[in-house]
Amino acid sequence: MYGLEAISAQNGWAMAVAGAMIVMAGLTVLALVISQLHKIAAFLEKGAEKRSEKKQAVKIAPQEAVVPKPPAFDIDEAQARLKPLVAELGESFELTNLYELAYSGELPHVHLSIRSLRESGVIVPVGDGRFVWRD
Amino acid sequence: MDLLIQFLTNTGYYLMDFRNVIMLLVGSLFLYLAIAKEYEPLLLLPIGFGVLVGNIPFFKGFGLGIYEPNSVLHYLYFGVTTGVYPSIVFLGLGAMTDFSSLLAMPRLMLLGAAAQMGIYFTLISALALGFLPKEAASIAIIGGADGPTSIFLTAKLAPHLIGPVAIAAYSYMALIPIIQPPIMRLLTTQKERRIQMPDMRDVSRTEKLLFPAAGLILCCFLAPASIPLLGTFFFGNLMKESGVVDRLAQTARTAIIDTATIFLGFTVGASTQADVFLTPKSVGIFFLGAIAFSIATASGVLFGKIMNLFMKQKINPLLGAAGVSAVPGSAREVHQVGLKADPTNYLLMHAMACNSSGVIGSAICAGILWSFLV
Repeated sequence: MYGLEAISAQNGWAMAVAGAMIVMAGLTVLALVISQLHKIAAFLEKGAEKRSEKKQAVKIAPQEAVVPKPPAFDIDEAQARLKPLVAELGESFELTNLYELAYSGELPHVHLSIRSLRESGVIVPVGDGRFVWRD
Repeated sequence: MDLLIQFLTNTGYYLMDFRNVIMLLVGSLFLYLAIAKEYEPLLLLPIGFGVLVGNIPFFKGFGLGIYEPNSVLHYLYFGVTTGVYPSIVFLGLGAMTDFSSLLAMPRLMLLGAAAQMGIYFTLISALALGFLPKEAASIAIIGGADGPTSIFLTAKLAPHLIGPVAIAAYSYMALIPIIQPPIMRLLTTQKERRIQMPDMRDVSRTEKLLFPAAGLILCCFLAPASIPLLGTFFFGNLMKESGVVDRLAQTARTAIIDTATIFLGFTVGASTQADVFLTPKSVGIFFLGAIAFSIATASGVLFGKIMNLFMKQKINPLLGAAGVSAVPGSAREVHQVGLKADPTNYLLMHAMACNSSGVIGSAICAGILWSFLV
């Protein structure tokens, strides 16, 4: 069988038309998809950037939160050092006088010692800016 | 004396007939084209030498010929008949191909699709000439101008035609500089050939990474029969673009594809034994192959002109000729013809986009035809 008769008998027209349309449609869809790929890529890259920024922030945050450790401090030792000075100042005293006395005596961590003793209730306010010593 | 006579009657000189001489001349011509003219030497040299090897007459039954079970050539030919070599070649092609130009200008993909029309026209022509549907499809795929795809489909549909189809496909691919330019010039005006294409945008790495996945899903869902070709093709491309398996990508685009090409070319050449190859059908296949190739070129160019009717930004219709998947031969020819019209018109990158699209298109066509005819 030859010619148009053979083409029709073997379903040639249908195969050719369907095949041509499928490949054309397939590559058109692929072209449409890849024409939008840059948008998807930009979206993914943006997301990746945000994630990497967050990661960096998380990495930096603990570094900022690190507070330098206070020097080793013993409150009993501070109490022992300041008690004789308080005795010199009398029963009630001003903190500034105690500070100056301790500072001039070259005692270590003067400010920290006074603050700690205040917080621990050893140095107690009695009003008018004066304090007393309570063991 | 009897022993000597028996030996002499078993020699190739005694067994040779005129058909062997013709095929030896064909093989020599291929070698000449490959070495002296450098026409597709990577393909024509192994095929040409294979033709010489396959056409040395031998005493049948010794287990020597490519069609004789248990012969060495038969085992090497196994990669062709099962479609293994084409699949491996596609892996290497994928690892070589840079889709940047196609991603930057996706509309060029349509030219790759249009150039596949030659396949379907040839399908009808082959049926009209009396070929059976499976044979007609195997011949038609020559229009895709893709050697491995042609061999793959023919191995699946009409294995007895592998030799003529492969030789026709590779011959016409080698003859691109002779076949395509006249068709391009005939169908375009000087003004059209001078159309300059815009510069391409930069393509991000993410786009290049997304493309193999998108391509695989869209193409293989449409034509699952193209998985053996496009599956390895996109896998090879992902290896290249990922940048994390450089060693594998490098091996795929060098050692692996080279090995497959050597055995593919050599065994296809050796499969052209004169008694199998020189038949009226082969003549018909060569005739139809030339038509397929010419129509594919013409339909790409004409589609480019049709696109220009609807688009603001005109495209150079010469690019349509690169829609056949002969990489990079047809892209080179488009570039050359464009340069002749205007020495400042550089079309190579745009033509490569059409070429890449043609590779995908012809593999889809192979899948479609296989699906139609199994």
